[in-house]
Amino acid sequence: MPTKDPNKSYIAILGWSLRCIDALEKFDRRYVIVAPKWAEDYATQHNIPFVSWDFERLNDRSHELATTLKDMGVDVSIPLFEETVEWAGAVNSVLMDNPRLLGQAMLFRDKSLMKRRAQLGGIRVGIFEEAMDQSDVIRFLKRVNQTLLKLDGDPNDPIHFKAFDKAGCLGHRVIRSPDDVAAIADDEFPALLESHLDGWEFAVEAWIKDRKIQFLNISEYVTLGYSVFVPATPELEKWRGKITEQIEKLIEVFDIDFGFIHPEYFVTNDGTMYFGEVAYRPPGFNAFELMERAYGFNAYQALVLSFDPKATQEELDAFFPTPVKDALGHAGCFGVYPRRRVVSELRIPEETENDPYFEFHELAAPMESKVTKRTAFGTHWGLVYFFGEDPHRLRDLLKAQEELDFYL
Amino acid sequence: MTMTSDSSSIQPILRSFDHVLGQLAGASSAAKFSYQGRVLDAAKRVLKQQGGLAALEDRAAALDRAGIFDGTDWAKPSGLVPGMVANALKSPEPRIVVLETLNLLRFLAVVRGAHAQPGLPVEHAHHFLTQVLALNLDRILGAHHEAARLSAHELTPAVDALLQRLLDGVGTEGILGRLVEEVWRILRQRPIQVGHVKSMILQIAIALGQQGQSFSASANRLGADRLISALFGPTDLCREDPGLDAYVARLAHADTGSLQAEASGMARAMHDTGLVSEYHAAYLRYILDSGQGHFLPDALGLSSTGLDCLRCYQPLVQQLIDVAVHPGTAQAVLGISLMLERGILYSPPIAPSLWRLLGTPLSPACEEGLAAAFGSDVTPHQRLVAGLLTLLGQPLGIGQGNNPTCQAARALSIWALNDPDYLLWLLAQVTANDRIVMYFEGAALDSALLPAGLALHTPLDADAVSVLLVPHLDRIYAEMGRRVADRGEDPHRWINPELHGWWVGREFHIAVDIMTGKLQDYDQFIRDFHLAYHPLHNGNEPVIHPQPAGIAVTDSQGTFVGWHAITIIRVALDQSGDMRVYFFNPNNDSGQDWGLGIVVSTHGNGERLGEASLPFGQFASRLYIFHNDGLHTPVSVPVEDEKITAIRDMAQHSWARDRV
Repeated sequence: MPTKDPNKSYIAILGWSLRCIDALEKFDRRYVIVAPKWAEDYATQHNIPFVSWDFERLNDRSHELATTLKDMGVDVSIPLFEETVEWAGAVNSVLMDNPRLLGQAMLFRDKSLMKRRAQLGGIRVGIFEEAMDQSDVIRFLKRVNQTLLKLDGDPNDPIHFKAFDKAGCLGHRVIRSPDDVAAIADDEFPALLESHLDGWEFAVEAWIKDRKIQFLNISEYVTLGYSVFVPATPELEKWRGKITEQIEKLIEVFDIDFGFIHPEYFVTNDGTMYFGEVAYRPPGFNAFELMERAYGFNAYQALVLSFDPKATQEELDAFFPTPVKDALGHAGCFGVYPRRRVVSELRIPEETENDPYFEFHELAAPMESKVTKRTAFGTHWGLVYFFGEDPHRLRDLLKAQEELDFYL
Repeated sequence: MTMTSDSSSIQPILRSFDHVLGQLAGASSAAKFSYQGRVLDAAKRVLKQQGGLAALEDRAAALDRAGIFDGTDWAKPSGLVPGMVANALKSPEPRIVVLETLNLLRFLAVVRGAHAQPGLPVEHAHHFLTQVLALNLDRILGAHHEAARLSAHELTPAVDALLQRLLDGVGTEGILGRLVEEVWRILRQRPIQVGHVKSMILQIAIALGQQGQSFSASANRLGADRLISALFGPTDLCREDPGLDAYVARLAHADTGSLQAEASGMARAMHDTGLVSEYHAAYLRYILDSGQGHFLPDALGLSSTGLDCLRCYQPLVQQLIDVAVHPGTAQAVLGISLMLERGILYSPPIAPSLWRLLGTPLSPACEEGLAAAFGSDVTPHQRLVAGLLTLLGQPLGIGQGNNPTCQAARALSIWALNDPDYLLWLLAQVTANDRIVMYFEGAALDSALLPAGLALHTPLDADAVSVLLVPHLDRIYAEMGRRVADRGEDPHRWINPELHGWWVGREFHIAVDIMTGKLQDYDQFIRDFHLAYHPLHNGNEPVIHPQPAGIAVTDSQGTFVGWHAITIIRVALDQSGDMRVYFFNPNNDSGQDWGLGIVVSTHGNGERLGEASLPFGQFASRLYIFHNDGLHTPVSVPVEDEKITAIRDMAQHSWARDRV
């Protein structure tokens, strides 16, 4: 393990992630993990610098966290999870004496606000609206379909229903009929409603320093909520130029000096980009791990560099590879949901296990036999990882996993 | 099965494997375990390929260094038990199978000199693998029984290939020989439970049947034959294992000379090995049923002491045989024989107590418990009588099984040895009332009303007497502990005399301070132990009653493992003139390596059957609790300082390393 360089920044990580801790153990920055009390024993056992903090408490104590970290000499805090994004904004506004950072973080935390801000900045977004209750949803569904000149009885075009402040696919539902609306619980409101775009959905991971994109990755979704791989196929990569322009717009509109963003877009057949949403934290689906596999650089260390006020441009240039060209291959993963109502064991399908692209899985054995009915996109039971040279073969392989039973 | 995949298909899998292995190797200690699962999964896929085993063998050292075993039960190779391997390799959880496979490959790498592990010397690795092979002979020889076939899984061919590879690496040389030696070593301790020994002998018999020629030259052939014949054909009339019915038919046609030869042949095999053949049980039943009881003394192999005892109590003994000796409980024959030799029937309450046992039906709970542990070949009552006779004949043969109840097993052993009358009284309480009432400092403790102690379940892998008594004793022991918990001193100071009997010394010595766990007045402790127990220092006073004592058990590296209850039986000079402590260890196998040259002996240094022994100083260096009767020694000889220093060094280099 390298020694810590006292001339480099002292980093606070908000959230508990072993992968991130592992990356920092192997990095030359001093660091401290800020995470809930339940992680404290493990941290003590393994000599991990630790500050216990309850992120669910009200925000009026954020100043206390900021002062604690400031007294320790911490230079910047980095959020790992959606729930810690505004904490990091609040803390950094104190550490860096820049109140604007808190406002910016609040923007990232509210899907509706961020969409309006994007729209105001001239970024193309789909039709969207806030919903306070079920009747709002039904009205939106009807109006969108009227706009599309559908008659009564024609199958509706779906709309998307997303919780304001949840990460990724949590709380994301696809609504096709008033029946679907009836299934939404009252506590899921308020929420964001979006029209459905028939396009190619993808995500971008961008590390930003001094308002400049340091590294831009395009993650190709095979099926939303199931599978993703990096780098993308040449067909999607050919839009890289346009995508870069879009990200530069985002940097302007959201006034991003540094850090890491993870926006989602649609590109329609004619090459029009629609902005979906943006998060100011590492993506789900372990995309960081995929990037490490594909490029060989540690994405968490990259995250630290992009936040670190003392990181130099030379250091960043030396750290990042050239996108696509430097990739060793394509890495993808598939999120498994049980396909049966009752399951008793985990069994990796033969065709998966024997495929040369298959690498390993992180699936848990079933804890109970009855599978809870999936509302919204739900949470997968674990990921299966693949790696190989041919992006098209990888894409088809990921698609094929959807038809296999991992839980019997 | 996918073993047939051609060799080119292993390349991408190996690439993945090497990638995740690299991740594991580079991971910090905090994240190590999060990479282990993926490495095991990748290893499993490699194993299933042609050439996969060899690829993993090449990487065995790298895997070990990368930390694949960190935080698992396999982390310390020196502490691994060969007997656990077979089960791990049969586990339904593939990651366990793979981990055990990698572990064995690690041992193989050490044997081949391709890997060096601190704490795993080459000889140890070699010995370990030999034992593993010996214990898995059936699998190596392909003598799979139906149960094994049914439990086969996708890794079964890979595991078979692994064992074959180990066999090539270690050599067939000496495997059977080791197994035979191992069986003899265990049998010399005369354990009450011999089920696992019998299954090892069965393995030997199968192996000899298949590989007879290559083994015939070996010096162990005779030892193996003795074991096999003692179980399956101890005498002329059953030499070729004809089956019990055929044997009894032959007895019916045998002349007096043959019957006499059968009697002495049976007894010889029994006392030679400690194993009783089922034919022996059939023989005893036959001669008693046919009115030929005059063969009994020879069939039991009695000396003049035993014979005299038998003559005094003939009707009782015959009744005990009738109830207890059946083909499924043949070991009771040895118990009866040794019990007669001990002469304990002359103690006035014993014979009536045995009559009481013969005449009392068991409570339903007792019947249920015995049936659950032993099945229903014979009735629970017959099983209990057989078990009791075995315990009375072999008080030092009892083992705690795989249960944390060394205290209870030790107590049963002490009573069987020193106070059999009391043991029978405890048993009578349980068989009649499902409870034991003991008194602790005047207050009655009723086991039926107490919460569970250390053992969460009734022990099923122990002998019949333990199955009935241990749950009650364990609860009483735990309750006594609770009652003295706040006294700030080691609870055994009070528990030991109250639990076992008045003859446990009330003067209590302990080597460590309970609050800090540090050594306390250790030199004086050692000095006191000499003055209390060493005949050359205590005025040549022998150990009068067996005394409970506590030892700090260490592993073969001398690292502290835990506190353990034993019994000091006697202290005496061995045949080479060294003073030794002879003691009983309720652990199932006393022959243990406690590290730094301290190896507990069970045979060849003057031990009686079931005793373990160590030179006085070595024993003292692992001792941490003992009792003394408080009588003043008339002429005590002071202990030389060098002796004390040597013992203190041995303690401080092992269990007391961090207690100074």
